[in-house]
Amino acid sequence: MDMGLLAAQVFNGLVYSSILFLVSSGLTLIYGIMNVLNLAHGSLYMLGAYLGITIVVYALGGTPLAYLVAFLLVPPSVGVVGALLERTLIRRTYPMGEEYQLLLTFGLILVFDDLVKMVWGAAYINFPDPNSFLGGLRFGVYTLPLYHVILIALGFAVFLGLWTFFSRTFTGKVMRAAAMDREIVEAMGVDVNRVFVSSFFLGSLLSGLGGISAGPLYTASPGMGTDIIVYSFAVIVIGGMGSIGGAMAGSLIVGVLRSLAISFYPQLEIVIVFVIMAAVLLVKPTGLFGRPEFERR
Amino acid sequence: MIARLEEVYVDRGGVTVLRGVTLQVGEGEAVALIGRNGAGKTTTIRALMGLNRPRSGKVYFMDRDITDVPAHERARMGIGYVPEGRRVLPDLTALENLEIAYGGKVPKDTLEWLFQFVPDLKRFLNRKGLYLSGGEQQMLAVARGLVRRPKLLLLDEPLEGLAPKIADSITRTLKQIRDEGFSMLISESGIVKRLEGLATKAYGIDRGEIVYEGALEGILEDEVARARIWGV
Ligand SMILES: Nc1ncnc2c1ncn2[C@@H]1O[C@H](COP(=O)(O)OP(=O)(O)O)[C@@H](O)[C@H]1O
Ligand SMILES: [Mg+2]
Repeated sequence: MDMGLLAAQVFNGLVYSSILFLVSSGLTLIYGIMNVLNLAHGSLYMLGAYLGITIVVYALGGTPLAYLVAFLLVPPSVGVVGALLERTLIRRTYPMGEEYQLLLTFGLILVFDDLVKMVWGAAYINFPDPNSFLGGLRFGVYTLPLYHVILIALGFAVFLGLWTFFSRTFTGKVMRAAAMDREIVEAMGVDVNRVFVSSFFLGSLLSGLGGISAGPLYTASPGMGTDIIVYSFAVIVIGGMGSIGGAMAGSLIVGVLRSLAISFYPQLEIVIVFVIMAAVLLVKPTGLFGRPEFERR
Repeated sequence: MIARLEEVYVDRGGVTVLRGVTLQVGEGEAVALIGRNGAGKTTTIRALMGLNRPRSGKVYFMDRDITDVPAHERARMGIGYVPEGRRVLPDLTALENLEIAYGGKVPKDTLEWLFQFVPDLKRFLNRKGLYLSGGEQQMLAVARGLVRRPKLLLLDEPLEGLAPKIADSITRTLKQIRDEGFSMLISESGIVKRLEGLATKAYGIDRGEIVYEGALEGILEDEVARARIWGV
């Protein structure tokens, strides 16, 4: 086996892990806090990429500044879209049961796909390569594309940020408390509805951040939301639903193994992820990190 | 008058469980709510807290109609809640439980003030709810209900499931809280004696109806209350 190729694929895998973590941490925190599995979470990722295209390519002409603006504006905008979806549509399904939630959010995937085709067209759109102005980072005998390195760092930074947020800040603790016992938290003076919108905002923001990060790597296409949601779902099942640490562990496993499979056994690209998921479910049905941050009892 | 339910009807799961409950807690009063399991004590307390909305009837607090006020606003207006089964947040420490109820970091003097009533709290402040004993959980639940210095403290079977010695210590704590002038409504499922010296006034409840109103000692002599609550 070619060690250079192996190292390169692990590196690419880590980049993909990072994107997966951004998306799946949002998915898992919305599930953990609100018990909502938002299938359209991947569509928000897609929206992040397309809003990024609009700013970087169409509005600001691919300059470094364009990227900076896009990274600052896109995630909160996608967060607002997610919060609005919760307020207007998803919250109506709470009294109705999970099957309605899944139907609604599945329907939203189709709506988002068509909206994207209407606004941006069905063809793949490429971002200008950010590495053309960022350059590379020398690492021993290799030169690593800096944008890729930044994304790996971003994934870990967001992980640490979320961990600190949920264990140290008052707002983070209130979110965890609302997940544990929403009625008691309400009776202690917390407007739980507001907590729910905030967690949808935060979770969707993370998905949007994943989208704007991934756009320059993999191009933007109308099917990209479905691809990522399938992998993200596998990630949170493997790591343990509702666990941020689990989302990280699952992302590392899925991202790196998928990347290795693509170059060494391409026919296994998708299969391998689901084989791991099935194996974890058999051995430990609650996922690798069975004790999530957001625990319901 | 601190709080009052007026002709309150509440449905739960399609069944009417409160049928015209009228009940009142006065300034500085400790009032007992006595009835068997399933009589409607918890639902009465939840109606005051805003966790169950009446189908008809009114809820008043400090002379204001709060029938349509949501629970979180009632908590901020000054209703403290010590729920049935304590419901301590398991994955947060005792201090964090208090923070959630206080709405932020609890000031040092407020903590000191709480320690007067529940000195044991000092010992387990940084332990997670999950690792507290039943008695410790109840002490925390009382402290959590008290931390905003509410005008009315609702306690749903605070002595239930505790060893006699621990139940006695909770009773002492509650007396001390009453002596500070806090108004309370305390439910109890059978042992009237446990509330002696704590509550003065009592209501008896059976099948969603108030069957007794009067002095606590009187409930054991009252024919209707005896027949409806104890079947004797
Ligand atoms: N969530 C619920 N759904 C349907 N019925 C309920 C629910 N909770 C309580 N009940 C019923 O309401 C009645 C009163 O219950 P509750 O107020 O809990 O009584 P208590 O606290 O005196 O034991 C009981 O008959 C109980 O079965
Ligand atoms: Mg009860």
